[in-house]
Amino acid sequence: MTVKRVEETLIREVAAILSVDPSTIAPDVPLHELGVDSLSFVELLVVIEKTFDLNLMESGLTKEDFQSIRSLASCISRMG
Amino acid sequence: MVHLPFSKNKRYLTGIDWIVHAFDHMTKRATGAGNMSQIVLELDGAAPEDELQQCLTRFINKYPVVNGQPARDYNLAPYWKIPPQGQRPPLSFSISRLSDGAGGAEVFARLAQAVNAPFKSRREHLGFHLLYAGKRSFVAMTFDHRLFDARGAEAFLGLFQEEFEGKGECSAEISLTEPAHLCRWREKFKAGQHVNRAFLRLGEKAPPRVLPIPSAPNRQRIKFKIIPFDEQQTAAIVDTAYNEAGYLLLMPYVLAVAVKVLHGIFAARDIRAGDYVISVSIDTRPPEKVGQEIFFNHLSFFLFLIQGHEAGRFPALLASIKRQMYDQVKSGLPSDIEEASTLMRIVPLPILSHLMRLHLKGQIASFCFSYVGETAYTYFRFMRNKVCNIFHMPRVPVPPGLGIFFHQSHGKLNGVLSYAEGMLSDDEVNTMVHRMESLLGV
Repeated sequence: MTVKRVEETLIREVAAILSVDPSTIAPDVPLHELGVDSLSFVELLVVIEKTFDLNLMESGLTKEDFQSIRSLASCISRMG
Repeated sequence: MVHLPFSKNKRYLTGIDWIVHAFDHMTKRATGAGNMSQIVLELDGAAPEDELQQCLTRFINKYPVVNGQPARDYNLAPYWKIPPQGQRPPLSFSISRLSDGAGGAEVFARLAQAVNAPFKSRREHLGFHLLYAGKRSFVAMTFDHRLFDARGAEAFLGLFQEEFEGKGECSAEISLTEPAHLCRWREKFKAGQHVNRAFLRLGEKAPPRVLPIPSAPNRQRIKFKIIPFDEQQTAAIVDTAYNEAGYLLLMPYVLAVAVKVLHGIFAARDIRAGDYVISVSIDTRPPEKVGQEIFFNHLSFFLFLIQGHEAGRFPALLASIKRQMYDQVKSGLPSDIEEASTLMRIVPLPILSHLMRLHLKGQIASFCFSYVGETAYTYFRFMRNKVCNIFHMPRVPVPPGLGIFFHQSHGKLNGVLSYAEGMLSDDEVNTMVHRMESLLGV
């Protein structure tokens, strides 16, 4: 899957978790600034496992990898 | 599906609301006062007492829901009976003054008295206290958890400030309706099966490790120890949590710290039988909905099982908490608890209080925990005074009579230890605070 497609999927899923319109989600904004907290972040990790078959909870990804939807999409695309 | 007419004087209670009612019932039986909590705003000046009382009275009068009481409908679903506008008892409002040199311990001891006082009637669920201490003042809102959860109570105070600042009335946006949830029975029973299995696993080595609740002949008070952190300390804690637990995983990190600290107290008392069971309440509202879902409870629970040998080793403990949190989100346990609890609404509270302790052989948990996250009181001022800090003082349900709670307000993390009087000695409390600060790296 291309980085762009992964990014679109993540935007849709983050919007669903936060109950907001996907158009309000900027891919380069840090997740915590979007209102993602511990619980919603774990929800996102579960969605990533179900969608991309990747368990990121124990993956050793760095804070920078998780920083924004764009960086996360790039990692998922690389790993997948 | 059963369609019921909407009534503005009736709000059906969800299963989670009914569980909170059961906590209230248990806590009233054990301590004489219910499952109450208190939000405290520390202000940098003296709040004007007459103006505050008048503004609060005017504001509260718009919300008859705050003077409701539980009842059962003809379909047996419990609901909150909202009195008609105008039939209101006077607002509970008290004022006290401490000397100029009063320290934090004195202030919080006085505020603890306020939150430990039972409400005067079945229809009173809210009270306000204004405390002057030198140049500072503290505005405390004591509330019944059956009416608000912590975030809802913060949002309610925010609504007051919004109105005070003349930004218009937002009450029309507040949702006070809830369906009776008398449909989708198959899904409810399936969720019940999942929750029941989770409880059976928790109860395999029941009872869990608990501190004995001291017997109190009359009325047992709940004591509090506030553990505040400033902005710099909070930033350091968040940084450490993100490095050690992972990005955004502050909640599992502070929970691991809380377990390790309490494990030290259990070990010092040579209490080694059973595992730790921790009930963690979580807010199920998306951030955008906080302003609409102010009243009643919008939460669910994680249930963590920590084996005794894990509790002393921080990396293993943190890994276990993260894994359990992930597994519970993946299996949908919190949403199944919400769904399954609607089935329990048929059970009267005295029986439900008993049933809730069956799996763990008379216990509810080793202790309660929550991390509320950033405050829903988004204002930097209350009336015209600057808000220096916001504290929560939740009376922990008894049993277990022991809870550790965290929340953040404007970049400052605050912890509070809430415990039944006599359960912990002052030395143990001080030891816990030092260990917690040390583990959090401050």
